[in-house]
Amino acid sequence: MSKRKDNDFMDVDYDSDISMGDDDDFKVSKGKGKGKTVDKKKKEKGKGKPKDVQAYTWEANFARSWDTVQEDEGGSLQGAVNEFMARGRRRRLLTPGSAIRRTIIRHLVLLLDLSLAMLDRDMRPTRFDLTLQYAREFIVEWFDQNPLGQMGVVGMRAGLGERIGEMTGNPQDVLKAISERHKLEPTGDPSLQNAIEMARNSMSHLPTHSSREILIIFGSLTTCDPGNIHDTLDACVKSKIRISVVALAAEMKICRELCDKTGGQFGVALNEGHFKDLLFEMVPPPAQRNMTSRGGNPAADLMMMGFPTRLPDTSPQSLCVCHSELKSEGFLCPRCLAKICDIPTDCDICGLMVVSSPHLARSYHHLFPVSPYDAVQTLQDASFIPDCHACGRLFPTTPLTTVTEGLSPTGRYRCTTCKHDFCSECDVFVHDVLHCCPGCGK
Amino acid sequence: MSSAPPAQAVATDKPSHLSVIVDLSPSQWHLSSQPPPANTFPLTLNSFLSQLLAFLNSHIASKHENTLAVFGAFPGKSLMLYASTESETINPSAVDANSYPPFKMLDSTIIKRIENELDQLDTDEESTLPVALVGALTKALCYINRISHFSAANVSKAKLPDSLTTSDPHILILSVSPDLSAEYIPIMNSIFSAQKLKVTIDVCKIYGPETVFLQQAAHLTGGSYISLERRDALLQYLTMAFLSPPSIRKALSVPTQDKIDFRAACFCHKKIIDIGFVCSVCLSIFCQPVPVCSTCRTKFPIKILQRLNASRPPPTPGSNGLSRTTSMSGTGGLPHSGSIRTSTSNGTLR
Repeated sequence: MSKRKDNDFMDVDYDSDISMGDDDDFKVSKGKGKGKTVDKKKKEKGKGKPKDVQAYTWEANFARSWDTVQEDEGGSLQGAVNEFMARGRRRRLLTPGSAIRRTIIRHLVLLLDLSLAMLDRDMRPTRFDLTLQYAREFIVEWFDQNPLGQMGVVGMRAGLGERIGEMTGNPQDVLKAISERHKLEPTGDPSLQNAIEMARNSMSHLPTHSSREILIIFGSLTTCDPGNIHDTLDACVKSKIRISVVALAAEMKICRELCDKTGGQFGVALNEGHFKDLLFEMVPPPAQRNMTSRGGNPAADLMMMGFPTRLPDTSPQSLCVCHSELKSEGFLCPRCLAKICDIPTDCDICGLMVVSSPHLARSYHHLFPVSPYDAVQTLQDASFIPDCHACGRLFPTTPLTTVTEGLSPTGRYRCTTCKHDFCSECDVFVHDVLHCCPGCGK
Repeated sequence: MSSAPPAQAVATDKPSHLSVIVDLSPSQWHLSSQPPPANTFPLTLNSFLSQLLAFLNSHIASKHENTLAVFGAFPGKSLMLYASTESETINPSAVDANSYPPFKMLDSTIIKRIENELDQLDTDEESTLPVALVGALTKALCYINRISHFSAANVSKAKLPDSLTTSDPHILILSVSPDLSAEYIPIMNSIFSAQKLKVTIDVCKIYGPETVFLQQAAHLTGGSYISLERRDALLQYLTMAFLSPPSIRKALSVPTQDKIDFRAACFCHKKIIDIGFVCSVCLSIFCQPVPVCSTCRTKFPIKILQRLNASRPPPTPGSNGLSRTTSMSGTGGLPHSGSIRTSTSNGTLR
């Protein structure tokens, strides 16, 4: 850290709410040899670690989040709120309104860095704790949007790849695998090659129509590999594994190359919020551009599936075919009427793939998105109907004077198909949650 | 009141929101009102409405803060019939000394709007269109989204303890029409958004065959699906099963669903099927092997098509019975297998 920086940020230290400077922090950071004295005078660093390229969080410029929200002359925040909504609308307009091809059956290995670099406190409370917390949220959200997907967890620590959770389709199993913090305590250096090899081997048997992905959360700036990592990279490209990296420290050449060559995404987290955003960008199923651009036929498959009937708890007891246990609840295979305990599964008797149709239907909104609504610009264009077609809220009768681009001054948004008007709140709700226009049902 | 333990008071004092979706298909209601040779317990639209209004009044009456919205699904059109947040002035001449004004207003508003709509239908000759159940359901969800947002904003401003945030919303669908398989995807999307909003969907099947999609809706959102046996006792069913808000249901024994059909509608012919062919890329469902996926334009290898065609069950209607008997002998006679799919065995497997 330069002297100049120290002076610049001197006063920020005291008034920022993240510079609590409690004693624990200082003990730990001293123990790590980061020489930070209590009177905030910078000493020269004895062994400057490579990741010291980043400032301590409490030295960083304070994010004045309230400055982004500006009051207008009347002291109202409406203008700022509109600005945020306009941004959301513009983002939505960018996404194509037509169906795009996405990989629905996904297989993902989550690669967690468990090296000493994860104990850094530039993200609160530590990179490690934050990663675990976000990983849990990520797993829940990922299984919510990819109900037919499977996920495994591999850790990188002490130069080895370590299998933490087997590939499974049950989110509870994955969450359980990373639930015990003391078993994941970071030590040593990470090895990208070992961990990627391990993830690659665990996905080698998968059918060709499903996607194979590796998501790496990487905190270190070094990797300690037994061989040539570029060989591993080539092997991944050959077996069509998509690697994405969320780096917590800085961009590394090899990480960028891993992502670029395999068609994944690379991002460096700037702060806690950005870290979460980067991670959650991996949740929606990726569009299959690389396959269509090549013009080749993607390895597609038509699968025969059965949709079962669920028996209630009150039905007469009978034996299930999977465990030979006497129970009343269960699912009936539609082809052979055998009773199965849990779905999705392959029927033990006739081999039919038995799935619940709601599982499939969860992804249909990716296929048939609602086309964006048009903002009604003037009152002359507005229809005579005074209220929102969906929720019955009354539209404003006088148009707004300050107009943000993409927003309707009359507060009306019109479906291009059914020509009904909706309020801005329903516009957001329909496109983000409902995925179905209340006017035309499409 | 003060003697009640505080924890219980919190749980039971919450106001609840009820959105009722009324299926008003004229043709189905006509069938439902046919005298005994056609129906054992005929139910006319008039008697249905009077029982429904009694139920709605009892929801309003059971708690002062309770809110109510009623949506009508008409042929090809859906409409909000009544919402308790919309303040309407009562015509002073209509005030009757013998009636409670909120009830009076609710009853007259709903009846008036239904009459208007049905009159328009007769002139337009469009009563053969399928009912707009999806429209009504999505509007109900938008409305619930609106009031929950509104109350959240209210709380942050005024710190009202007894505002609408505490309400647990539920939707009651009174259905008389059969399944609309063309609306499979929108209905499923609505179900998933109801799950996200933590809305319980209850279904009361008054007339007509069981609807697969509404069964799934009730199952996935934790509501109950009840198919009426004695349709003349509608009010009793409504009050006993659907009046209590979902938070109290745990303490009550509300009738649960019998069996749930997880069947889906195919994308190609909109048929409801129990064995389908699924594209691995986009998960579109087809009722027969197709060479090209109609949704994502994926071409399937010819080998797979041949294999699937070979493994398809023969289209004769006897095949279903055959598979059932083999499964019974194979697994030692499942007691349930004979009673399942009596209504679906012919026509779905082909």
